[in-house]
Amino acid sequence: MKAIGARLPRYEGAGHVTGQTLFVDDIRLPQGNLWAKALRSPHHSARITSFDASKAASLPGVHAIITHADVPRNVFGHLAFLGVPADEPLLAVDEVRYLGQPIAAVAADSEEAAQAAVDAIEVEYEEREPLFDMRKAFDPDAPKAHHWGNWLPYFGGELENAGPDRRRIRKGDLEWAFEKADTIVKGVYRPAAIEHAPLETQVALAVPEPSGRMVVYSCTQAMHFSAGHVAAHLGVPLNGVKLVSSAVGGGFGGKVDSSSDTIAAVLALKTERPVKWRWTREEEFLCSGTRAAWHIEVADAVTKDGWILGRKTLTLHDAGAYLRHSSYATTKHTFHCAGAYTIPNVSFLAFAVFTNRVPSTAMRGFGVTSTSFLAEMQVNRIAKVLDLDPYEVRLKNANRIGDTMPNTVVLKDPSTVPVVQAIAEHAGIELAPEYKAMTWEPRTGAVLPEWLVEQQAKGGQD
Amino acid sequence: MKITVNGAEHELASPPLTSLLNALRDELNVTGPKVGCQGGNCGTCTVLVDGEPRRSCLLPLAMVDGAEVTTIEGLGTPKRMHPMQAAFHFYYGSQCGFCAPGMITASVALLERNPNPTRKQIQNALGGHICRCTGYVKIIDAVEAVARGESFDGAELTRSRGGEATPKGASA
Amino acid sequence: MARHKGRGLATIEYPTGMNQSGDLTQSWIKLKHDGRVDVLSGTVDIGNGSKTAHRQIVAAALGVPVDWVTVDVSDTDASPWDTGTFASRCTFIGGNAVKIAAERVRERVLEIAGKMLEIDPADLTIEEGVVFARGAPETNISVSDVAHAATWQLGGELISGTGTFVKPFAKILDQETGRIDRDPHAALSYGASVAEIEVDDETGEVRVERFIEAYDIGYAINPTIVEGQIQGGTVMGLGLALLEASYPYYPSPEHRGADFASYMAPSMVDLPQIDFLCLENPSVEGPFGAKACGEMANNGQGPSVAAAIHDAVGVWVTELPLTPERVLRALEKKAAGEDAPRVDGKWVIFDEELSINAVGAPDADVKFTFDPF
Repeated sequence: MKAIGARLPRYEGAGHVTGQTLFVDDIRLPQGNLWAKALRSPHHSARITSFDASKAASLPGVHAIITHADVPRNVFGHLAFLGVPADEPLLAVDEVRYLGQPIAAVAADSEEAAQAAVDAIEVEYEEREPLFDMRKAFDPDAPKAHHWGNWLPYFGGELENAGPDRRRIRKGDLEWAFEKADTIVKGVYRPAAIEHAPLETQVALAVPEPSGRMVVYSCTQAMHFSAGHVAAHLGVPLNGVKLVSSAVGGGFGGKVDSSSDTIAAVLALKTERPVKWRWTREEEFLCSGTRAAWHIEVADAVTKDGWILGRKTLTLHDAGAYLRHSSYATTKHTFHCAGAYTIPNVSFLAFAVFTNRVPSTAMRGFGVTSTSFLAEMQVNRIAKVLDLDPYEVRLKNANRIGDTMPNTVVLKDPSTVPVVQAIAEHAGIELAPEYKAMTWEPRTGAVLPEWLVEQQAKGGQD
Repeated sequence: MKITVNGAEHELASPPLTSLLNALRDELNVTGPKVGCQGGNCGTCTVLVDGEPRRSCLLPLAMVDGAEVTTIEGLGTPKRMHPMQAAFHFYYGSQCGFCAPGMITASVALLERNPNPTRKQIQNALGGHICRCTGYVKIIDAVEAVARGESFDGAELTRSRGGEATPKGASA
Repeated sequence: MARHKGRGLATIEYPTGMNQSGDLTQSWIKLKHDGRVDVLSGTVDIGNGSKTAHRQIVAAALGVPVDWVTVDVSDTDASPWDTGTFASRCTFIGGNAVKIAAERVRERVLEIAGKMLEIDPADLTIEEGVVFARGAPETNISVSDVAHAATWQLGGELISGTGTFVKPFAKILDQETGRIDRDPHAALSYGASVAEIEVDDETGEVRVERFIEAYDIGYAINPTIVEGQIQGGTVMGLGLALLEASYPYYPSPEHRGADFASYMAPSMVDLPQIDFLCLENPSVEGPFGAKACGEMANNGQGPSVAAAIHDAVGVWVTELPLTPERVLRALEKKAAGEDAPRVDGKWVIFDEELSINAVGAPDADVKFTFDPF
């Protein structure tokens, strides 16, 4: 049988449908395990003024309570490999910046005993005014959401040679485009923060080996990446940690940067017993990273027959209280702000903004789900404002082989034209003959006005 | 407290207010039914109690004393799958596998009550079961296939197609 | 009170692999002494089907039956580095890594078989687990016999091969323009979506009747997996288009859903008819022509449904999700004649009340000005 193209059943599918696949929570150790629960911040922003776990520690069944002081390296960045500095503590030190931020964790004989101990920890807070609206982050009197300020202060990498505090993409001559345009269409687009909501909540089982190594059964989407995190927080080389990849009950991006592996491991290190941390559904919804909310403003310079000559954007990405992958998402977003179209003159500007909410993180379509929304809303509005066919506006401006993206990438096999033609046919839309005959080959000028040929050919480059 | 699970009788030591889900998983090590929400909202802990689909996370043991419980493990095994399990397998009704234990047991119960459901009836019957991966299409396809009496040796479903793709981008 | 039908289109593109690349996957393949194949790779399968796809790729690249191939992703000791299951990278980057490793194993099998058969390895090929001479299939030896001989007669060689696939890191050369020195992704995939909906102008409710997806995914290694990704992505995308919000009254942090009863994930009853058109323009660098499709599948729904709402009732809703409340408020504005964009010279300005200029007090640097910056 030819393997490529075959509709083979899922490799591990027989286990899935018979209940025999072992997810992390299904693993049973002969020696049993302790259970973990976390003390989480009840405030959006506060200073921690006192912390007393002595009562909690004396409760029955409690084996260990850990705070930031128990974590060998409490602050470690998820994008350290890209040179992005660290900002997020594994366990809060003297302040909390979002509701649900972990401050301490307990290992006990049962989930109930662990929760009872968490409830018995005495903490006093001094509340601060939180910041929630990205659009107010730049106000002179805005509350401070992050110790770096209200937006990521450098996109260049290392703190030392900070680089710019915003991501910019510029190409061509936007002034020319706005001058030449018959119409400029401006809109504001706001995709919401949403939950990954995998059916399996975050769960980790950390098992100390007699040799001193830590074995973590993990539901991570990226076991080497996660192993690196655990090892870094524990301050051990990579052979000090072994991550065992079990089945993963859905991820969608939310299990890329989970802290559950590391916190379970620190508790296991301290108790020298296996520790399992299984997040409740409520924790999964309220305390795990979300897809970011975005605020996007766009102005497109267009001709009356639907050529997009130029685009100007302003994007705010709601990173939440800590950076996680937000610099990556913001950069990726700006690389794709032209959508599936070739726009010769652009100026894209984006900020990663901090607010006092759960840090946003990777999710399916990371950074680009929002660009699809802005690009397509704009094209649909342009077609409406100019009273043109939305299929034809797309085909006109479509990416073609050899076209240059705003960041100067030259396209090799862009399929805007074939996918629009295919969907039009299936939807029963009759395209005009010149659009039906269009291909993804470089523009010949047949549909292109004479005066625009030169602009398109040089990809808008000066 | 006594219950029969997948044909085997058990005397349970867990307190009477323990949920059936926790007793199955923690006392009997029957881990097929999953902990998805502990609140009856996701469906992955669904088991058959005397043939009826029930959310085991919401059922205290005291209410199932003497009952016959069938979990996903009791329906079939990898070598001897229940037709519904085989259908989910070959139709990709399961991706990550976490909702399948509840989705499949509820589907079995649905066909017991209504051997020839319409697509709408399947959607309504399984509407309380959340799946984040599949978009549900292939789950419904699987249930319909079982209702049609399709057999699942996989020969037809796993066939490979001939030839290479023809690029369509170059010409209209 | 009436129901209005509408239709909307979106076209999307999405990169394969991490932005700016540099995200590598390594794999290691070894043969057991009966020729069966162990693939050690680090690509975690989260339901996306990468283990199944990698198995098919290895079987095809090596020339053995699929059921000879075991894919082991068990832990960070046994598995070589994989950057992770994200960025739509598993089939393309992970798939290329296992393909390269399989090709190295194949080369070694052919070399050993060539010696055993006394034929130039260049004249040999492997199909269905048998090495044979091109044009003379009666001259053959099974891969099992080759592996057995290598292990027990020819010095105990472990037939194995490693494979790494990585697109080098793309550096931003100029922070002012974002100019980069090479492709910042492994490939680009394209798709289009059409939403066919019905809007109830009394309740503001939007019902999706049919959703059409057309995606160019290069080449489908396993068409059923591709369909599953597209269908699953469509429904996840309809969730973000119509139902889901972590903060229903953003920016307020109140009223968060803490369970599946109060957080509106799509259920089976929300399911429209989904038509999927799978286009295949093989990617030059992808394994057997494949490109990514997993993530982009949830990108077309928001804009196409919003366009369909405009088509149905003539209002633009530009904040997601497109809830009944937002649709009704937009209809109210329209009824009051307050929905038209402000026209200023050649500027047609929508959504002014949502702008940072209206809500915040940013300095000139951040403010969205009408001059090109």
